[in-house]
Parts: sequence; C-alpha cells; structure tokens
Amino acid sequence: MDKAELKKRLNDIQSLPTLPPIVSKLNEMVADEDITAVKLGKVIEKDQVLTSKLLKMVNSSFFGFPQRISTVSNAIVLLGFNVIKTLIVTSSIFEVMQASDVGLFEHSLGCATACGIIAKMRQIKNPEEVSTAGLIHDLGKIVLRSELPEEYEAIVREAQEEGLYMRQVEKKRLGVGHGEIGGMLARQWNLPERLVFPIEFHHKPELAPEYKEIAAIVHFSDILIRAVGFGYGGDPWVPGLDHVAWERIKLSKSQMREVIAELDEKLIELQDFTLEIKVEG
Amino acid sequence: MARIALVTSNAFSRQDERLCLEAKGHVVSFKRDVAKALEAILSDPPDLLIIEKGLERNLDREVISALKNNLQLALMPIILVVSERDIATGLDWDSYQVDDIVSSQATVEELLTRIELSLARSHRVADNNPLTKLPGNSSILKSIQNMLDQGQGHAVCYVDIDNFKPYNDKYGFSRGDEVIRMVGRILVNVVQEHCGNEGFVGHVGGDDFVFHVPKEEAEPVCQDVIKSFSALIPLFLDEEDLEKGYFTSKDRQGNTRTFPLTSLSIAVVPCEKGRYSHYGEVAATAARLKKKVKALDGSNYFIDRRSASSGKS
Repeated sequence: MDKAELKKRLNDIQSLPTLPPIVSKLNEMVADEDITAVKLGKVIEKDQVLTSKLLKMVNSSFFGFPQRISTVSNAIVLLGFNVIKTLIVTSSIFEVMQASDVGLFEHSLGCATACGIIAKMRQIKNPEEVSTAGLIHDLGKIVLRSELPEEYEAIVREAQEEGLYMRQVEKKRLGVGHGEIGGMLARQWNLPERLVFPIEFHHKPELAPEYKEIAAIVHFSDILIRAVGFGYGGDPWVPGLDHVAWERIKLSKSQMREVIAELDEKLIELQDFTLEIKVEG
Repeated sequence: MARIALVTSNAFSRQDERLCLEAKGHVVSFKRDVAKALEAILSDPPDLLIIEKGLERNLDREVISALKNNLQLALMPIILVVSERDIATGLDWDSYQVDDIVSSQATVEELLTRIELSLARSHRVADNNPLTKLPGNSSILKSIQNMLDQGQGHAVCYVDIDNFKPYNDKYGFSRGDEVIRMVGRILVNVVQEHCGNEGFVGHVGGDDFVFHVPKEEAEPVCQDVIKSFSALIPLFLDEEDLEKGYFTSKDRQGNTRTFPLTSLSIAVVPCEKGRYSHYGEVAATAARLKKKVKALDGSNYFIDRRSASSGKS
C-alpha cells in the first residue's frame, strides 16, 4: 500500500471504533435523568477515539468552528447534550476487544495526564489543550488497528520479533509511521493545527512547523509514561528522547520530582477507572 | 436541488431509484450503517432525511427525537419509511415526530413527490437565520406573543454582543460569524439544559438574540450563558489582544480607538401573568434595560424587577 492509497482509505473514515466497556458505561449514564453534558464529558475526555470524534464534529462545517476547538470542555459547551448523547448512542465499538486495545487506551490516558501536569508546570495558558494532544497522539495506531487490521497485526508481530519500534516497521511496510497517519486523519477531520502537529510529530517534535512546545511535551510525556510502565504503547521499547526538544521544555531536577509525584498520584486515581474498563471487558 | 440522506436497510436503495432522485438534481447519500450515517448527519446535516422505521437498537426513534429536539435541526424535514402494516395499524406520532411518511412499497415517483412537498413546506415555514439556523423575527414575535397570551410567566431575555462591530472590523466577517454562531450554540445548549423544550431561542439578526424561559430559570440561565461565553471568547481573540485586555479598531465615526474585549449583555424582562399584553411593551422595557446593562463593563445581565437589581460576573 502506498501513501496515496492510504490517504484515500483515510478519506473514507467517518468514524473509529472504541472500547465496548466505555461505550456501555456512557450509554448507562445517558439513561440517567440527572446526567449532564459536563459529566459525560468527564468520561469522554478519557477516551482518545470519542474525544477525537467530538472534536471532529465541533470543527465540522455545520457547527462552523473550523480548526478552532481543541478541548472536550469547549466542544461540549458548543455541541450540547443532545448532540453528545447521539454521538454516544451511535458510536461503534471494537468487535473483539484485545488486551492491547486496553493497553493503548491506558497509554493514551496516561500520556494525557503527564502532558497536563507538565503544561501546568510550564504555565502554558491552556493546559487542557496539551493533554488533549497527548490523549490523541496515537490516533494513527487506532486507524491501523481498525482499518488495516491485518497490516496492524503484522506490524505488531514484526516489531516484537525483530525488536524494532512500531513506527520503524510501519515506515517499512506502509511508507509512513503512525504519527503521520494520525496527523493526516486529524487534518482531514479539520482539527486545529495545535493538535495536528503534535500528533504528526510526536516522535520528531523539532520538525513540527508550529507548536513545537506542545509537540515536545507530548513527545516527552509519551516516553515518561512508558518508562513508569502505565499502559502499553504497542511495542515494548521506550522511544529515544529528542535532545533538542528536551532543551526546549527542560525541567529541573526538583521540577521533575514534582511532576513524577503528581503523576503517580493521578495514575492511582485513574486506576479505578481503567480497572472498571478491564473488568467489564 | 437538495441534499438528501437516506438511511434504510434496503428500501429505495436500488440504483435506478437513486438515479431517479439524482436526475431531479438532488444529491443523495445512502447509508446502511445507521451509526455511521448518523455521525455524518450530525456533522454535516442534509436538507432532508429519509429514515426507515424499525432500525436496530431503536436507533430510528433515538435519532428522530434527537434531531427534532435540537433547536437548530428541528426544521430539517424527516420522512419515515414505514411498512404497509404500519399504515394499517397506525403509529404513535408522539414518539415519531416526523414530517411525513412513505410506504416502503411506494413507487419512486411517489417518493419524489413527497420529498418535494416536504422541502416546499419547510421553506414556507422557515424564517430561520441562515447563519445560526435559529428561528428569526416572525417566529420570535409569535413565540413571545403566545407566551404572553397563555400567561406562562416566562422571562424574555435580550442578548447582544458588546463591541461587535469593531470586532468585525478588526477580525473580519468570517471570524465575526463564528462568534455569532458560538453565541447561538451556547444559548441553545444552556436553555435546553435548564428547561428542555419549555424554553425558546431566536436570532433577531446580526449580534442580537432573544430567548425566553420560565421566570425562575432566567437567572441561572444568564449565569451559565455568561460563564460559557467567557470560557470560549478567548479562542476567538488574538493572543496579543488578550494579553493587553483590549483591542484597537474603528468606531462608528471611523475614528481609531481602543475597545474593551468582546463581552455579552443580557436584558431580562420577567413577564408575570397580566403584566404585559403585547410583545411591543416587552420590547420597550427591554430597550430601556439594555441601556443600563450596556453601561456596565464586561459581561452582565440585568433583570427588571421594577426596583431593579443586577447581576455581574
């Protein structure tokens, strides 16, 4: 498959599947009379697929905010309860949920958490936007998993057997890595460049034409969350750190200690949620 | 020439039937997979939806009620495809709030006629604002007058965006349109969340909106509207202006001067039973209040309590 063909495949993607337990949890919530859009948002913002679908919708031509909205909480204010409810009721799920799907879900959620902490520490104005970028940075892997399942399996296998990074095998077999694939889809879905570039360049943040700082934070958080062993990114290797990117967002030792302490705490809080997902799955 | 979405398992999905519709200049998108179809409908609504009754997981009913309860999509005509048996036994129209039905056995000519009638009807009743798709002046007038006539005791709230004209001059019309759409969406969502279908939101035109809600909801609705507006407006301003806290543009006389960042003013006129009999009287009170609320800095609402009091956020 070449790049043009891949692009054509991406063009046809209206929707991506997500984890069945998350969707059934949301469906239960929707049935509750006292539920609010904000409460639904708290669950949606933990799932990369639902979050990107929500952003796709709000940045679409009908809602009329092209490439403007980058966070779940802002999307919710604009979309409203009824639209969100419909999004949930009609969302598609993986027919067979694999352990690696849950692993990637946890990895994405953990990365988002780390991004949020670091963004706050660096006093970035809208830290929620950075954690959104972290949440959906591996969107390309979901695309592979659901649209090209055979390729995906082959890639995972080869990465395991040869001891390679997933993106190396992806490049070899498809000509592009999951970062570029995710970036292509995000662009097609009209998401803001503040999200597109960090997704596309999360392995090479210095190549991002803009928003290098967000890309660098996502890059570092991706590594950090693998290093602490939360979730599963698809291959067993901790990616190498880009030193120029690190210089850009460099944290002192004491800041780093603070980040790790806060991350530990937040990950423990998240575990209740991820356990629930695993048990139901 | 309309964009038509067809969501059926197989009714009207034959190639020749679709060609027939397309020959009339319609653009038809046919979907078997309901979930996918719905997402497409919501993110890019067609002019008319044809949906089959009895889809899996009750999705047909879900979708119809979601669309009809959405203030901005409620006017999109929906034609329900039913079986001959449904026609014989009758349907519960409250749970199927559709505009027309067609039998799955109908000829394509009949389908075409129904499509055209539905479209014509929707053009007749719609005075919706093209930008926000919200009801326009004649619907607003009718809705407020109805509320007064029935003595529902709602509060009528007049919303406008402060310094919108200089904003438009500086940031350009397309961003100005986005801000107007943003305010429309916020009003619709907050009103719906607080009072469901008891509330009404209309778009007078430009940066002027009107909504009415049960009197006791007026204050919490205004607070939420202002809260949401304040959270979103920074996305529509340049970072530089946000940091300064003001922007530079031209006033009505064409002089360059600085303006405070865009904010929202809401004048609230509670209409206790018997206090007003005509829409014009409500509007007059609102005009008086608007002057007061406009004189305040930032986003504010002002409730007419004769012994007036104000809320500020």
